[in-house]
Amino acid sequence: MKMLAVFEKGPRLRLIGHLDLMRAMQRALRRSDLPIRYSQGFNPHILLTFAAPLNLGAVGEREIMEVPVEGTVDPAFFLDRLNAALPPDLKILACRAVEDTHKSPMALLRAARYSAQPEGGADDVAPFIGPFLAQKTVPAVKKTKSGEKEVDIRPMIHELSCRDGRIFATLDLREESTCKMELLLDRLYAFAGLETPHFLVRRLMLLGEDGNAFVPLEDV
Amino acid sequence: MEALLEAKLEKLLEQVQKPARYAGGEMNTSVKPFDEAELTFAFCFPDTYDIGMSHLGIKILYHIINKQPWGLCERVFTPWPDMGDAMRREGIPLFSLESRTPVRDFDLVGFTLQYEMSYTNILEMLDLARIPLYARDRGEKDPLVVAGGPCAYNPEPLANFVDAYMIGDGEDVMVELCAAVREGKRQGKSRLAILEDLAAIRGVYVPAFYDVCYNADGTVKSCTPNRPGVPAKVQRCVVTDLNGAEYPESFPVPYTDIVFDRIVLEIMRGCTRGCRFCQAGMIYRPVRERSLDRLLALADSLEKTTGYEEISLSSLSSGDYPCLAELIRALMDRYQQKRVSISLPSMRIDNIVKQSLEETQKVKKSGLTLAPEAGTQRLRDVINKGVTEEDLIRAVTDAFESGWSTVKLYFMSGLPTETDEDLQGIADLCKKTVAAYFSVPKDRRARGLKVTASVSVFVPKPFTPFQWVGQDTLEVIRGKQERMREYMRLKGVTYNWHESTLSFLEACISRGDRRIGDVIYTAWKDGCRFDGWNEHFRYETWLAAFEKCGLDPAFYAYRVRPLEEVLPWDVIDAGVTKEFLIREYEKALKGTTTKDCRKGCNACGLQRWKGACPAYENARGV
Repeated sequence: MKMLAVFEKGPRLRLIGHLDLMRAMQRALRRSDLPIRYSQGFNPHILLTFAAPLNLGAVGEREIMEVPVEGTVDPAFFLDRLNAALPPDLKILACRAVEDTHKSPMALLRAARYSAQPEGGADDVAPFIGPFLAQKTVPAVKKTKSGEKEVDIRPMIHELSCRDGRIFATLDLREESTCKMELLLDRLYAFAGLETPHFLVRRLMLLGEDGNAFVPLEDV
Repeated sequence: MEALLEAKLEKLLEQVQKPARYAGGEMNTSVKPFDEAELTFAFCFPDTYDIGMSHLGIKILYHIINKQPWGLCERVFTPWPDMGDAMRREGIPLFSLESRTPVRDFDLVGFTLQYEMSYTNILEMLDLARIPLYARDRGEKDPLVVAGGPCAYNPEPLANFVDAYMIGDGEDVMVELCAAVREGKRQGKSRLAILEDLAAIRGVYVPAFYDVCYNADGTVKSCTPNRPGVPAKVQRCVVTDLNGAEYPESFPVPYTDIVFDRIVLEIMRGCTRGCRFCQAGMIYRPVRERSLDRLLALADSLEKTTGYEEISLSSLSSGDYPCLAELIRALMDRYQQKRVSISLPSMRIDNIVKQSLEETQKVKKSGLTLAPEAGTQRLRDVINKGVTEEDLIRAVTDAFESGWSTVKLYFMSGLPTETDEDLQGIADLCKKTVAAYFSVPKDRRARGLKVTASVSVFVPKPFTPFQWVGQDTLEVIRGKQERMREYMRLKGVTYNWHESTLSFLEACISRGDRRIGDVIYTAWKDGCRFDGWNEHFRYETWLAAFEKCGLDPAFYAYRVRPLEEVLPWDVIDAGVTKEFLIREYEKALKGTTTKDCRKGCNACGLQRWKGACPAYENARGV
């Protein structure tokens, strides 16, 4: 059996990297004394995968991880035990048990919803959102391991809006097509002719697909 | 911290290297509300988070202060230069990791002194905290700055910056000191009155209460109390019962990588071997052991509360722990299922048990580190190291037969009476180590032999039998290092040597007097910090600082001190007496060894204090 757990990576931990977070979660699992599974091989490690690494600097409100366990574990018990073993800024919000054959969250992931809070509010950029979305293409330069690559990010943007001084967006997040919130904001402010301000990014939710509609990844 | 600064800090953290160092919020850290504590203590480690969090002392004292219902302890580390500069630029004061409270708002600001070359970081931290650097400039609203740790045994180099020192084992005196400050605060006492209360506690040295006079030649003439009620000599603190002593049942678990990221079990404190160069072996006397039951109970709770995958047994000489094999077996039995490995960093060559080697590497294999210290038997007798070449060769052969292939050997150069023959002896031992590997049949040894020989420069330290000797001059050291490079062109051996200028400054400061404080201040003012880090060490700036202060570094490092000279640290009674140290010094020069004091009392001085040395009292049937 595998556990699908929704967890929060709080503001204090936004500058803790992916590997550090992974290790912190593994240690918490050890402390929890839950029947976790280890890999085979010379240096066994705890089996644990995250749906998607979070950009350094961002807060994760509903991140998702998969934890294979031995036998059957009650999800409510798993949630309580693990929460008792976690530091204050990491918290399990929900948990669901699935069969080992259930596709991994990484494979089911399609998109993510974000918010960004620009320093000094979003009033200046708000009027430009409509015209920005009206563009047929939005060329952007993506930095990849093999160098820089020009891509059109317009088809990766599923939603873009502004409310209460915050910018909200739903963006592609899958292997063949990913647009980071930081890249979108960079293009949006350039379009508006404004200097990109400092902002705090929150990943609000990871999304999978049900038919043609996005649904929370943990429900897929 | 106020909201505006906090916002600035958040922004700044995105721009500095390794921001996780400043995040706080780790598992098992204190969550006490700052405003509700009656006594607040900022525990300052004068190096980076990664170094400081690897240190056992901070974990013990953090636990002890926070255990008091009225006490609160939070951690502070030196911001890396990029962060320090940015904090100055943005006007962000040095803050604690737990509650992000400015350090200057704490009642007590405490530094642990582990290494002389971290002293500029202390000034850097005080300055970033906006606390006046010199104790005499601090007012009623400023925190009291206290310090302890092994380097505090010579309190003089930092005497002008520290309000009060704690000398010796910290477990009890820390609580006494904090309680006294809390009481003083409650009664509305003045800073001076509180310091007077502190000076009455055993182990506490208040430098401002002592006047130092110098002779015309620059040596110390006297260090005497300048008010009544202050002891002429400050007796160091001794925790006599290690089983009864506080030890944390949980450790903070860092998010980011630190140097030693594991459970540390202190199995023993002190060492009975009496190596003459070793300050730890002198100042942590007598030897005290933790019981097997206590250690297993601690291991249990630490394993449960941290989730760590490794337990390291710590002491000055773990092989001397009487139930070592039993302890390792019990730990292995308990934790093999949970995939916890056991490591033993401080083993002596002469008592490595082949079986314990095999036990500890069942889970995870790591390198083996041995410290013969000197290349010939003659010189090993001078330093009273008490190990032989046969011991070494037997130990490495055992290790190679048990499947190890990585061996690190530690040596020192510049020891008193050292000759070229001793240097060649180092190369010779390395050669024999390589030969020992090849003497093991191919099918019984692991592949990939790696022998690393590190040769450091000897630094004479206070409260050792070598406290009077002159350090080799830089010229002599460089000549020796050049010859060593020739001798060490050996197949299968990697040779490392140490920066000699750093050891030279370490020698100046470790045996420095009160005037050295101005040199440290000047060096810091001119940009020195993180001196122990190669990329930040600025030798020229240090030399210039000596010059500006009118002091000669050679006076401190090279000079052979006459036995009758008043030493800057004579104001401290470390337990070992000067008579004992002189006796040992004279024996060293004759090449005569002294027996392990488990085999009979050598009258080092600890026997003067009732209850301090259990071995002595057991032998006498007290």
